[in-house]
Formats: sequence, C-alpha cells, structure tokens
Amino acid sequence: MSEVSLLFLAGLAGSVHCIGMCGGFACVIGADARGRAATLLRQLAYNAGRVTTYCFLGALAGYLGLLLVAQCGDDSIVAWIQRGFAVLSGALLVYVGLQFFGGHARGALGAGGALLADAMRTLVRAPGLAGPLAFGVLNGFLPCPLVYAVAAQAAASGGPGSGMLTMAAFGLGTFPALLAAGAVGAWWQRGGVPAGVATVSLVSRASGGRAAHAGSGRVLALRCAGAFIVVLGLVTVARGLLPLSGHIHPMP
Amino acid sequence: MNAVPAAVDASAAQMLECAHCALPIGRLGQRREVGGEARWFCCYGCCLAYQVHHGERDEPQAAAALIRLGVGAFLTMNIMAFSLLLYSGAFDGDEAWLRQPVHWLLALLATPLVALLGAPFFAGAAQALAQGRLTTDVLVGIGVLAAYGYSLIELLRGSDRVYFDTAAMVLVLFTLGRYLEAQARVRAARSLAPLLAAERAEARVLLRDANGAQREVIMRVRDIAPGVCVRVLPGERVAVDGVVVDGASECNEEAVTGQPQFIAKSAGMPVHAGSINGSGPLEIRAAVAGAHSRWQQVARMVREALARKSMIGVTVDRIVAVFIPGVLLLALATAGYWNERAGIEAALMTGLAVLVVACPCSLGLAAPLANALAIAAAASRGIVVRGGGVLEKLARLDAIAFDKTGTVTDGELRPHSIRVDGASTEEVMHYARALACASDHPVARAIAQIAADRAGTRARRVEVRAGAGMRGDVDGTRCALGTAAWMAAQGWTMPRALAGHTEDGGTRAFVGWDGCVRGCVLFADTTRADAPHAIRALQRRGLHTLLASGDAAPAVARLAAALGVERWHAELMPEDKVRVLREAIRSHGAVAMVGDGINDGPVLAAATVGIAVGGASDLAKESADVILPRGANGMLALPWLLELAANARHSLQMNLVWAFGYNAIALALAAAGLLQPVLAAALMAASSVIVVLRSWRAGAAADRSV
Repeated sequence: MSEVSLLFLAGLAGSVHCIGMCGGFACVIGADARGRAATLLRQLAYNAGRVTTYCFLGALAGYLGLLLVAQCGDDSIVAWIQRGFAVLSGALLVYVGLQFFGGHARGALGAGGALLADAMRTLVRAPGLAGPLAFGVLNGFLPCPLVYAVAAQAAASGGPGSGMLTMAAFGLGTFPALLAAGAVGAWWQRGGVPAGVATVSLVSRASGGRAAHAGSGRVLALRCAGAFIVVLGLVTVARGLLPLSGHIHPMP
Repeated sequence: MNAVPAAVDASAAQMLECAHCALPIGRLGQRREVGGEARWFCCYGCCLAYQVHHGERDEPQAAAALIRLGVGAFLTMNIMAFSLLLYSGAFDGDEAWLRQPVHWLLALLATPLVALLGAPFFAGAAQALAQGRLTTDVLVGIGVLAAYGYSLIELLRGSDRVYFDTAAMVLVLFTLGRYLEAQARVRAARSLAPLLAAERAEARVLLRDANGAQREVIMRVRDIAPGVCVRVLPGERVAVDGVVVDGASECNEEAVTGQPQFIAKSAGMPVHAGSINGSGPLEIRAAVAGAHSRWQQVARMVREALARKSMIGVTVDRIVAVFIPGVLLLALATAGYWNERAGIEAALMTGLAVLVVACPCSLGLAAPLANALAIAAAASRGIVVRGGGVLEKLARLDAIAFDKTGTVTDGELRPHSIRVDGASTEEVMHYARALACASDHPVARAIAQIAADRAGTRARRVEVRAGAGMRGDVDGTRCALGTAAWMAAQGWTMPRALAGHTEDGGTRAFVGWDGCVRGCVLFADTTRADAPHAIRALQRRGLHTLLASGDAAPAVARLAAALGVERWHAELMPEDKVRVLREAIRSHGAVAMVGDGINDGPVLAAATVGIAVGGASDLAKESADVILPRGANGMLALPWLLELAANARHSLQMNLVWAFGYNAIALALAAAGLLQPVLAAALMAASSVIVVLRSWRAGAAADRSV
C-alpha cells in the first residue's frame, strides 16, 4: 500500500512536469459556455480519458510483465527481470527529475509524438464531452518519460491488476494539478483573452500578479518537485540494484 | 410514371462513376470519405485530385474522426483492461462470482463501440455488397459482427467464452488505420493545394470608371483579359503574366524557373504568374489572358497528372481486387478446417485472424501517395510531370538523348553572316524572311527578327516540315528554307560555294528558289549555361548521353566534345531522329529525349520519356511527358527530377515488398492458428502506419536532396 501512495505522490510531484505540456492542453480545453458545472465536467472528461489510458497501459504492462515472468519460470531470472524494470524506471525518474533543474521542463516529443500532438490540436475546440474525452485518451499516449517510468514499475508489479493500480495511483496524482491548470484556462477564457497563448506565461500570470515574482516561485516549486522525483528515482534504482529481500511487492 | 425509374437509374449510374473523372469505376472502385461524404473513385489518384478540390471541410471532418477514434479507444481500453484481468486469472477462486458481471460489463462497453466505430464499415460493406463488390469493409464487417455476435450469444447462454475484446480491438485498430490513411491524404492534398489553387485564384484588378477615378475589385484570375492592370501587394502571389507598369519590388520565381531566388522588378520588366512578390506593391499589366499563364496551365496539368494511373498502381489495384475474395475464401477454409479439429471457437478465432491480417489497406495506398507527393514536389519547382507512370519510367532510364538547337544551345540564335551564290543578299533575305514569318522554329524566329525592319510580303501555301525546313510561294516563286538535307529532298542543286562547311561549324539555314539553292544564313551557337552541368550530373548518375541534331556534322561534333556527350548523330531529318532513338532504345533500354517540345513532337513521342525544356509559351501545345521549368537554369532541374523519381520508386518498391511480404507471412501464421486476431489487427495497423510514414519520408527526402 505504501507503494501506491508513493506513486500517488510521484504523480502529484510529477504533475509540475505535466503542467509544462499537458497543463497547456488542459488550459486550452478551457471553459464551457454553459457554466461552471459544465466546465468542470469538460475537465473531468479530459482527465478521465487521460487516466483511462494510463490504467490501460498499466494493465497491459502488468500483463506483459506477468507473461515474461511466467515464461521464465526460474525465480532468479524473474528477480533479474524485476530488477531490470526497477532500474529502468528509476533511471527514467531521475532523468525527469533532473530536467526540472535544467529550467526547461518539457520533454522533447519524437516525430510520432509531434504528429499526434498536431492531430490533437483539431480536437481542442470541439464542443461537448466527447472532444475532451478523446483528447484525454490521446494525450495519455503522448510520449512522456514519467509515464514510461511508472509503466516500467507497472510491468514489475506482478500482474495486470496491480499494474493498473500502479498507473491509476500515478494518474490520480496528476489529477489536481491538471484540474487546476484547466481552471486557469477557463478563468483566462472568461477574461476574454484568446487562449492558446504560451502556457508557461499563462501559468505564471495565474499564480501571482507580478510575472517575475511568480516566475521565481514557480522555479522553486519546480526544483522541489524535481528533487522529490530524483529521490524517488534513486530509491527505485536502489531497489533494483541492492539485494534486498522482498523487493517484489505483489499488490494485495 | 417514367420519372421514377429514370431517377433510380441516374442515382445508380452516379454511384458507379468516379467522383473525379466521371468514368465508370469498374471492378477496382474504391470508396473513401471526402469532405464528410462517402464517394466512389476509380483509383486513388482520382481520390487525391478530388480531395484537393473539394476538401475545404477536411479539418472539421478530421476532428470528428479523431473524436470518434478517441471515444472508441476509451471504450476499448476499458474492455481490454478488464479482459487482461480475466486472462490473468484475477477473478479466479474466491472472486469467481465476479466473472459473469464482468462479462456483462464488457458487453455493455462493446455495444456502443460497435455502433460507433462499426457503422462506417457496415455502411460501406452494405453499399459494396449491393453493387456486387467485395471490399475491405466487407471483410472487417464480417469479422467484427462474427466476433461480437458470437460473444453476445454465448453471454446470453451463460457461457464465459466471450470475445468482445477481439471485436473492439479489430474495430479500433482498423479505424486508426483508416484515420491515418485519411490524414495522409489530407496532408498530400494540403501540399498540392497551393499548386492547384491557381485555378481558383483571385486578383486585385484596377478599374477606371468614366470620370477617371481608379478603384480596385477582386476578380477571378481566369476572367482577366490581356491589357488589364492588376495590383499585387507585398507577399502576395503574382496572378498574371505581364509587365510592371508601376512600383518596384523583387519576386521569387521558384514556381516558374525552379530557382528560389528573388529577382528585382521595376517598371517595364516582365513578371510571371505564380511568382511571389517581395517587399513592395506592384502594378502589372497583363500580357496574356489570366487563364493562359504558365502558372494556370501547370496547375491544370498537375491536376490531370494526379488522376493518371501508373503501371504499378494499376497492377496493385488488380492484385487487391483478386486478393479480397481470395482472403474471404481462405478465411472460410481456415475456419472450416479448425472447426473440425478444435471446435467452433478455434474456427472463429483463426478465421477472424485471417480476415483481419490480410486486409490490404496499405497496398493500394503506397503507389498513388508516393507518386502524388513526387508530382507535387516537382510542380513546386516549375516541373510538370504528367502522371505517376512517367515517374516510374524516369526512375529506370538508361540513356538520355538531347536535341541540339534550343535544347543544349540557346533558343535565341545569333545570325552572324550571309553567303550568297547567284543572287543578292537582299534577295536572299527577302525570301528567307517571307518564309520564316510562318514558323516558330528558333532559326526561323532569328531570321524573321533580323529582317524585321525590311518590309516584305508573306509566303503563301507554306508547308513546314518539322526539323527539316519549310517551303512556300513568295510573289509566285516556289522557294524553300531549311537544312542541306531539306534542299536535297527538294531535288534542288547545291552550289559548291555554299555546300562547304565554315570553320566554326555553326548552324546553317539554306535559302533557295526556282530549283536552286541561292544563299545560306550562318548562325553562331551559344551553349546554354546550364547544359554542361546538367549533362555531367546525369553522367554521374550512370546514364549514357547522346546528341541528335539536324545540323551539320562539324557543329554537332564540336558541341558534343564541349559538353562531354558520349555519342552524337548529325544531319538528321526528324524521321532519322526517331530511327536513331529507336536504335538507342534497342541497345540501351529506356531512353529519354530532351527537346524543345514543339519542333521535336514526334521524336519526343518516340522516346521512353519525352522531356521538353519548356521554351514554349503555351504549355497546352506541349505533348511531352515532362516539361522542365523555363529560364536559364531549367535543365538543372533534370538531375534533381531523376533523383526524385528514383527516391519515389525506391520507397514504393520497399513499401510493396514490405506489404506483400508481411501479408504472405502473416496470412500463413493466421491460417495456421498461430496469430491472435487482436495481434493480427495490431500488425495490420502498424503496416499502414509504416507505409504512410515511408511515403512521407520519400517526399521529404526528395525536397532536401537539392
């Protein structure tokens, strides 16, 4: 259980990273003209789509991990595979965490990601709930090292159920930040300014009156989150490297 | 009473006609969604061409398709997650009572999914079956309905052998494949649209009303008459061929000359339609009607070229046409085989896997997409390639033959002296000019030009023999102008004083009347600046080169040596050129002929690929397969074009090898029961993605190569 809560925290801290890119999407999805409740529904649909993708990826990774383990049979090999996943996941987490200190928190999109993001742009303005839902589903597939890291953990978790739980915990952790980003987007739209401007400035404008001041606060928050993720990554790598007994945690 | 059957007939006929070219779609017809409506096309090229013209609503359409795909993926991922839990035994033991409710949940999720994503496939399948065709829609429809229907029946019977996940994955992956294909088409159409926009372009026309006040109206370029003044603002496209009357700016003429350079323009200078205005506004007087500019003609030709089928494209379409019924039979046979040995479920799964894995979505797409992108890339540099078949031939050229005058030498000849025998210079020029006025050949144009200030009569009953000469009546005298061979063909005597070659060996035009050759106009040839570079680049590509000319041997030999051309033939009549070309084709294989397009018509037609250097002002007269851009560096486009064609061919071959190889292997695996339908659908979708990405990369690589 401590594992799940840790991943929830990873999601929570990592979502500072998410704001860099996915936060932009949440912002742009913005408000529904029919009022606050409709806006909230819109944002929830987006996030539900995103977390569904994560859950699916988690279940898939867990299932593939299970197949791999079942194929090997030998316990020592199983242990090695799980260690491999842990090291991979930890390394990715450290990579993501260190990016926060580089000032440029956005993960670079590959060619495929750029194509996907390009296609998604057409969905943003679609009215109704289907648009944001579809948007969220596709958003979940965008290449993101954080998602890969957690997916690697899901693969090592022992089965589709626990894999799904792993990713769900992470996904729920990203919920608050992205809902907040969505609220900022909606607020911005109500202000009559066209949305879809650079996201970072939107976020910094939203978190305080003076942009420079807000910027420094944001950098601090970024660094804290980055440090947390680096520590989490190191712990995960350590789990893979150190011969601790019971480092395989089958989920209840 | 009669109206009703007539209407039915009309709609039935409409269904069976290609939406673009209006020809019957035949057995190989394809159904695609364009602009939100399903239409039938005879080939993929027609579909692309149609999309360019009617694709204004592509963006909202793509968004709607993506939303459907996203919502479908949402439902599918839920189905898959629960199915994975079922497979891994999460609901065994104590929680076994949950299995039945989970199955019901899967059915609950799958039903809207089948309705949402299945509808287009079912509609397409129904339409195709009503017309007696088998399409991939039919295969997908059968597969999905079989998996879904069987699962539903099993569920109602209380069994737990459900395959909702299979139905869901097949549907969502095929929808993804369709979406990607449609996106590839939209992007291809988007990159073609600027070229074809010429036909719908508008311009700011300056009109003066009765009291002299000037006003500006927006008018369609097609409707602009010669002499009309047009204003072009900075950054806008010049819409007419004409002369600058006011303003100073610079224009990027890449669309006309293939050279992306800005050329300074000021009052009195010619500008070309299709070029892009730079920093200042220009006022231009149209020299020709708006519809007759080269830009407009290129747009028309590119649109026609898109709808032309290529050899490979037609072959692939034919294979696909027999492939689909074959796959259906194979699926039935597989299902029958497994039904006897392992029961109905194994039969269902193997049959479904065969149906799904063999859907040749990516096959029909590869050739037209690669060709359309290459044609567009060429057209953006002012090169007209008339169809994908031409590209295929260009890619496998072995040799290339050049005409001399107006092709490797400048079209504008400079006459430097006149020799006479038994007549005065004035007399010779009088007859020469009278005849020359009736022809568009570079030699005739040059003669007409130098004699322009001398008043004279025009020849009557003129006969022009392309590449040889012309004859006609001037003041009642039978006279002729042309090569030595032409004079010999008339049976006229050639004085010794005129027959000998000059030391520089330039082009000569003989003039004679009353059965005797009386004079000879000598021209200096200037080699086109781009010809040596272009020829060297072609030789580096491993092509044999050949020079064929109607001129005298010394001139041709000298030029061939200067250009580094391997072989040359001189003093050829047009039919001799055709013969030389046929011989070259026999000895080398595929031979392209480069000529000036108007006088070399029959020779260009005899070549594997006829290439015109684009001197003609009216492209409609060009019958060549390829028309190079106008301007001093037009021929430099030739090596680039061959590279483009080679790239397109390579990408196409790799795609076909991939697609056929993949289909063969996957089909065998599926029939042997070694491939899950879900995996089969995933492989199918992946193959579509690979084909689309490969075609795109080929287009981009060609753009980078120069």
